[in-house]
Amino acid sequence: MTALPYNYKEPLLTLSGISMSFRGEPVLRDINAQVLDVTRPGMNQGQVVGFYGRSGIGKSVLCRIMAGLIAPSAGTVEVGQAQQPVAPGMVGFVQQRYPLFEHRTLLDNLLVAAGRKYAPAEARQHVETYLERFCLAPHRKKYPAHLSGGQRQRAAIAQQLLCSDHLILLDEPFSGLDVAMIDELKRIIVEVTTLDELNTVIIVSHDIVTTTALADRLWLLGYEHDAAGALVPGATISPRHQYNLAEMGLAWHQNVEAEPEFAQFVEHIKQEIRGGLILNN
Amino acid sequence: MKSLFAPNAQPTRLVFTSMVIGQGLILLLLWLFYPMQLFPSLGEVFRSLGNLITTQGLIQELWASMTTALQALAVATVLALLISYLTALPFFRPIAYAASKMRYLTLTGLTFFMALLVSSGHQVKLSVLIFGATVYLVTGMTSVILTTTQEEMDHARTLGMGEWRSFYEVVVLGKLDDMLEVVRQNFAIIWTMITLVETLYQSEGGIGLLLYKQNRYLHLDGVLAIQLVILATGALQDYVFVLLRKVFFPYSTLGHA
Repeated sequence: MTALPYNYKEPLLTLSGISMSFRGEPVLRDINAQVLDVTRPGMNQGQVVGFYGRSGIGKSVLCRIMAGLIAPSAGTVEVGQAQQPVAPGMVGFVQQRYPLFEHRTLLDNLLVAAGRKYAPAEARQHVETYLERFCLAPHRKKYPAHLSGGQRQRAAIAQQLLCSDHLILLDEPFSGLDVAMIDELKRIIVEVTTLDELNTVIIVSHDIVTTTALADRLWLLGYEHDAAGALVPGATISPRHQYNLAEMGLAWHQNVEAEPEFAQFVEHIKQEIRGGLILNN
Repeated sequence: MKSLFAPNAQPTRLVFTSMVIGQGLILLLLWLFYPMQLFPSLGEVFRSLGNLITTQGLIQELWASMTTALQALAVATVLALLISYLTALPFFRPIAYAASKMRYLTLTGLTFFMALLVSSGHQVKLSVLIFGATVYLVTGMTSVILTTTQEEMDHARTLGMGEWRSFYEVVVLGKLDDMLEVVRQNFAIIWTMITLVETLYQSEGGIGLLLYKQNRYLHLDGVLAIQLVILATGALQDYVFVLLRKVFFPYSTLGHA
């Protein structure tokens, strides 16, 4: 597969030396990653990046750090073109179970989010646009408990997009979804990234195939051994496990999952995972 | 019919209503045809009820007690909500904890203490009821607040809401329907307390005093008649609360099993 032409511009998200411990026990250690604004000629091309990690490795903690909900024990998260320190609300965060305000109708859920950035009339206009684009318009008066899984998912993503500054973080978005719903979510993610050049979707997942199919950058979280062979506590991202899928020609291709190169790459990743993602320094 | 005895079954509305009517009829028939020696017959209870209404002002006494109960409930609800919501601030958490534990205090002791603090009989009655209801409501309301998950709070925060705004959205607005349910459940306690308080402080009458008098003179038919009136009033109140919940919080029962 040939790599499609692209360029990189300024950073949109920078993780520098992120470490996190709980009661002295390291969960994450010295994580460095940077998401750059990728541009493609003649089109709006947002970013889709993936963080892969096995269950229990600390992905949700990393999500909360990236969303500015908890401060890391060490390191910084900087977001946006201005590379400001992250604060809650700067990064949209769609949690695993797609929470919405159960006491508000779908329309109200979106309005309360849009109200943060826009004046009431403008907020309503933006909400209407999202309701249409996400095929939610007929359900505007429904409470979240009345929405189907797919509708709820779209509503949660729309809500975060309405108030975040281009960055949206999805924690285990494919977990527990059937094939049709995964396809639907993939369509939404592509749609989001083509809405605005700066829109960036960060997928934190243990679904390697779907994440790889969507992403243009991929990072694998794992553990390392020190020189003496002892396991170093705290998951990290080694330089060896940072993949530029755009450069590898695996990004932005329609139906990339059917390509032999994609299958080979996924197999390689699986081998790494089966090896426990334990690396020697 | 099989569905009535199958675990977690959902019988049709018709079957369920028929079953409830049937159970009520059986109870009524048992009462009519197998009267126990000490238990007054249905006819005696009805006669006594008529007598209580016409000669002893049962309706007026019930109204007096109910207005006092509603007054106490309104004040107690406001106080309990305030104490419970203040648990957001660590400084106030011991107050909520202490208030919750105060439900173990006895009403008799409290009545005496309140009599020293306030002047009129009505004030004594009201303050005891408010105190009693508040401590129970605080217990229920703080439990509701404790059901708030990190996911819910994080969701509000990621929408750019500050801590107070997140608390308001998730805990205050989001759990208002549950708070109403706590009030509904604890309203029954006020009825238990009011009959006792009216007995201890008899200057203002009330249905509790009427019940006490019937008990004292061993008018079991009268006792039963008053109890049934209280039961019916309570059931009606419950119905009103359920109705209020449906009207004001239509989302509250959606998605329940």
